[in-house]
Amino acid sequence: MVDMPAPNPQRIVLPPHRERARRPRIVRLREWVKRNLFHSRMGTLLTVVTAAVGALLLYGIIYFVFVDANWRVITDNRWLLFAGGYPMDQEWRLWFSVSFVFLLIGMTYGTWASLGRRDHVFIVLVSGFAILLLAHGGAALWSTLWYLIAIGLLYVGYAITIRMPREAGPRRTLQQRIVTGLLIAALPIVLIVLLAFGGARPRELDGFVLNLVLAPVGIAGGLVLAIPLALGRASRMKAISWTCTTYIEVVRGAPLLGWLFVALFILDDVIGGELIVRAMVVLAVFTAAYMAEYIRGALQALPHGQGEAAHAIGLSQLQSTQLIVMPQALRISIPPMVGQAISIWKDTTLVTVILPLRELKGNADSAIAQFEFTPDRIEAYVFVAVVFWVVAFIMSRISQRVEGSLGIGER
Amino acid sequence: MSSETTTPAPAVREEIAQADDIIITENVDKWFGDFQALDDISLNVREHEIVVVLGPSGSGKSTFIRCLNRLEEHDAGKIVIDGIEMNDDVRNLNAIRSEVGMVFQQFNLFPHLSVMNNITLGPRKVRRMPKLDADALATQLLERVGIPEQADKYPAQLSGGQQQRVAIARALAMQPKIMLFDEPTSALDPEMIKEVLDVMQELARSGMTMIVVTHEMGFAREVADRLVFFDEGNVVEQGTPQHFFENPQEERTKLFLSQIL
Ligand SMILES: Nc1ncnc2c1ncn2[C@@H]1O[C@H](COP(=O)(O)OP(=O)(O)OP(=O)(O)O)[C@@H](O)[C@H]1O
Ligand SMILES: [Mg+2]
Repeated sequence: MVDMPAPNPQRIVLPPHRERARRPRIVRLREWVKRNLFHSRMGTLLTVVTAAVGALLLYGIIYFVFVDANWRVITDNRWLLFAGGYPMDQEWRLWFSVSFVFLLIGMTYGTWASLGRRDHVFIVLVSGFAILLLAHGGAALWSTLWYLIAIGLLYVGYAITIRMPREAGPRRTLQQRIVTGLLIAALPIVLIVLLAFGGARPRELDGFVLNLVLAPVGIAGGLVLAIPLALGRASRMKAISWTCTTYIEVVRGAPLLGWLFVALFILDDVIGGELIVRAMVVLAVFTAAYMAEYIRGALQALPHGQGEAAHAIGLSQLQSTQLIVMPQALRISIPPMVGQAISIWKDTTLVTVILPLRELKGNADSAIAQFEFTPDRIEAYVFVAVVFWVVAFIMSRISQRVEGSLGIGER
Repeated sequence: MSSETTTPAPAVREEIAQADDIIITENVDKWFGDFQALDDISLNVREHEIVVVLGPSGSGKSTFIRCLNRLEEHDAGKIVIDGIEMNDDVRNLNAIRSEVGMVFQQFNLFPHLSVMNNITLGPRKVRRMPKLDADALATQLLERVGIPEQADKYPAQLSGGQQQRVAIARALAMQPKIMLFDEPTSALDPEMIKEVLDVMQELARSGMTMIVVTHEMGFAREVADRLVFFDEGNVVEQGTPQHFFENPQEERTKLFLSQIL
């Protein structure tokens, strides 16, 4: 009864009229250079100046890294910087966690995105950096091996998941469910591996390990709190919406530093317990306020028709929120959420300032407090900065790629 | 259409509830703040009847049919759908919503779900239908609306006409007794309007009770059993297509028709 739509004249593509001769590559290159670098006198000047400054900078960096710097402050303090007070004989727990997370990263890429040439280059560079650090001095051969296993697992996870069908269907759904489930379970699993069954005590989480634990707990906890907060603020019931609004505005009214003071002094009297747990609570509570606002913005951006269509097919308010509204709102709010996550990642260094918790930056301070390393302050901080940047870069990269591939369902 | 008489239907028919009325509305008012969008509407629809609602922009057409599945809450009067009265009782509301399907001007498909999942969501979550059965039902409905090959795509990958046909399939998946259409072709490019109207026409022939807000006069003339003309929240005139197109009584109706035809 319904016939095939008539061919749409706009969709008809004709073959090219004639073969176009491609100009030689060198000619095209020359034109590109001319057009982009030397198109005018001013352009030429700018290009030359930029190139000169860049060369000088590059020279300075290379000279510092390879000639001037004394990297022994890092290599000799490897364990202090990365794991600090974590029991050394439990090192396998750290590597087990790293391997598990790398495997998951591989699976995430394989399921929702794909590794491009840039990603491979990045992985190789970071690995070179890591192996240089680990293998230096030869004492940590096992660690190097562990690292290689972890990277291997990343590619294994990727290879398995990338094979699966990309188009919608029951198998794809199953795969997405499994990987999503693993991602949700990852943090508890890692915490159990690190702490339970004869692992470290919470206060022994130290150095870079502490950053790597605090940030995800803050981000995940923040997200879990943020969803009801955002819904609450948008609620029609005034008591609920005022409560949530007050929470959000109060928390955003003071800097994280201030809230960490609260954790140190006030919460000590109120709930007591491990300092690190209080720090986690504060990070989560703080992050939640910001994330809630991003989610609320996304809720407002969703067309009304979505909720109406959900009701029209008989879904309850709860089902509509859970199945229709929230998944879309969360997707819209991915970019600002990642911004918030990266910001919390960097802000984990703040715990050193107030709390006697020692994360990477704090332990770098300890490293250069040793008499023989006092001249190597810059090396230590440059190293810390690079490590933070690498993780932040990975976070933004993954989110970009995942966001891109989720975009398929958007209008 | 069968019971046409030589005398034109009265301009405003006094509504008397009959046994086979599946939709009964009595003296329904709807206010938005201090603006009255529906003013004392009484309009009954028989089972299997196709009612086309016409009227200028802002006359309350959407508001009226949205009251029929409680996307809007009416402020006064009575609405009874298939014997169930619309009130604050949530069970009644759920019962009514599962009997009334709705198709929107903007399709309102769920963009994060595949076509298949758009259609099966209602049956699975509301009717607790097993996945396999729901999938089979969806496949059958996609065939009925003429796009069985699009099951695994996402809404954004379909043309407007295809999206609206998926939306019809999604509503039909709840196996409703009544279908409401709010300007289902107004957001479509001209070449896609026909494919959607064809599906609606087939639906009408299958005996579905339908209320259709539309400006497609060809559809109204061919398919409707009754035309209802809304203006400023009132039903100004109603009757058979023949009555409307050949012998409209009210000035407002004539003015409206002269502009639209
Ligand atoms: N949520 C709302 N809040 C306030 N006023 C509203 C709301 N919804 C509709 N109205 C008003 O009620 C009147 C009737 O609106 P309705 O959408 O029912 O008109 P319509 O006949 O469907 O018009 P159109 O052909 O433009 O769709 C309009 O004047 C509109 O501005
Ligand atoms: Mg309307």
